[in-house]
Amino acid sequence: MKNYYFFTKKICVGYDNKPLIKDMEITLGGGEILCLIGPNGAGKSTVLKSIAGQLGLLGGTVYLGEDDLSEMKAEELAKRMSVVFTEKVRVELKSCRDMVATGRYPYTGWFGILSEEDERIVNEVMELTHITDISEKDFGKISDGQKQRVMLARAICQEPEIVILDEPTSYLDIKYKLEFLLLLQEMREKKGLTVIMSLHELELAKIVSDKILCLKGEYVERYGTPEEIFESDFIERLFDMNEKEFLGNEKLLAYMKQIGKYER
Amino acid sequence: MSKNRKSRNITVFFLLGACVFIFFMLNICIGSVRIALPDVARAFCGQENNEMVARILWDIRLPRATAVWILGGALSLAGYLLQTFFNNPIAGPFVLGISSGAKMVVALIMVFFMGKGISVTSAAMIFAAFIGAMLSMGFVLMMSRRIHNMSMLVVSGVMIGYICSAVTELVVTFANDADIVNLHNWSRGSFSGMTWENVKVMAVVVSIVFLAVFLMSKPLGAYQLGDAYARNVGVNLQLLRVCIVIFSSILSACIVAFAGPISFVGIAVPHLVKKLLNTTDPIWMIPACFVGGSAFCLFCDLLAKTVLAPTELSISTVTAIFGAPVVLWIIKRKENRKP
Repeated sequence: MKNYYFFTKKICVGYDNKPLIKDMEITLGGGEILCLIGPNGAGKSTVLKSIAGQLGLLGGTVYLGEDDLSEMKAEELAKRMSVVFTEKVRVELKSCRDMVATGRYPYTGWFGILSEEDERIVNEVMELTHITDISEKDFGKISDGQKQRVMLARAICQEPEIVILDEPTSYLDIKYKLEFLLLLQEMREKKGLTVIMSLHELELAKIVSDKILCLKGEYVERYGTPEEIFESDFIERLFDMNEKEFLGNEKLLAYMKQIGKYER
Repeated sequence: MSKNRKSRNITVFFLLGACVFIFFMLNICIGSVRIALPDVARAFCGQENNEMVARILWDIRLPRATAVWILGGALSLAGYLLQTFFNNPIAGPFVLGISSGAKMVVALIMVFFMGKGISVTSAAMIFAAFIGAMLSMGFVLMMSRRIHNMSMLVVSGVMIGYICSAVTELVVTFANDADIVNLHNWSRGSFSGMTWENVKVMAVVVSIVFLAVFLMSKPLGAYQLGDAYARNVGVNLQLLRVCIVIFSSILSACIVAFAGPISFVGIAVPHLVKKLLNTTDPIWMIPACFVGGSAFCLFCDLLAKTVLAPTELSISTVTAIFGAPVVLWIIKRKENRKP
């Protein structure tokens, strides 16, 4: 476990003491990208919330490097891990820039006033995420896709070592989806950012991730590299897709087969 | 923060401050006896020869105006805290039944002790009101765990308010004749009859709480982003929640103990101030709410004293006339925004 940056030891996650997924072990090196895939309701969000310390674990331990997550101070964790969740954020009279700047919270003083250094980082991150043009727009009045990009910028602004993203691409158009993935890879190369996210787009998961975790039922269905996951008919089984359903529609059938394959 | 925004905010503070000053002076000069400004100035310097004018100023007008200044600010701040806490623009100490809960316990204590001929000190009154406020608050919190619909939460708060008011009425009805006049006036909300002793106590309590709330402005700002993001940036949510509940209850308690329940200020003022500042950043909102609440209450108290003079209106009558339309406006705007 020494070589891993992120490590979960037999964790059990769920709500109200009802375990949803048991004995989950994730091992990730620094700078690796992990994707969670699985059918709707498989517990992807629950897993992400639990490993981000937002939801109490029902058992086991999450390690960040050598440190036990549950024993870390909130301020220290805030400097190392940031999140983007799917919950809608309802704020009033806050510009997009204000929202991005909230990511500087762990670094500012008692009253949260931004230093010049903070302002510089906010500007830089907004450039990086291509949201400088909506900087002064009211966060409540922009599209869902734009909101998603702003919240991602907020997370990056927090200068974390690891970022946890719940369906970060769901509202993005295809151009921004690709740009987003490019950005993640850039951050990984430049800053050694480790990423854990859930994705619905299997094609994207296939090309972007180092590891893939498949969730279905009470235990982790499968955990491995994209090559190992996208082989034979595993994806079809994971999502309960049956060839029979598509008989007669050659295009859909071909698409289904295509998704499950891994090509180098 | 851009320069533009900063200068706008400073202008707003200057305007609100000027309003407070003007209404404060008007409150001192206008009343059953009109006192000219030069006389006021002379009285301040202790050179007023007319004993009666000096007495009216020192013993009646000044403590009353100071109390309105302090309590008005406290009321508006309590409303702002509750709105932030419940993420609900129409939350406030009055609509959530917190004022009425405090009123009920204070009425019980007052009738009980007055019946035995013991006078109750200001501090004890605040404490009794605090117990009542916490009782109502506890009930509202319990409801809020089950009810996630914001309007239903307000409705249940109003119901709690009615129950507490009914109990208060009952107690007042059975109180001694001599106490009833006082109690009745107070239970409808009034700033009359403030003494310097009252003012001292409220000044200490309110300024301590104000300072504490102002020091919390950074976590309060993060709290506005919702639980998940607040926790992610390192806010201790549980501690923050407990602090908000206790501070808003102390503020509400302080107001009720001295002036009785006052409606709508807690909702209307923070909303108007927010529109003026065009920001929800607590570091601006907390002091602005306080100053705005002072200005609004000084203005309303002036009307309460003068409109039907020599009869004095209850302060809630006036605040409701100006405050309730604001609340309706907020609700209408919220409905419009829904798709």
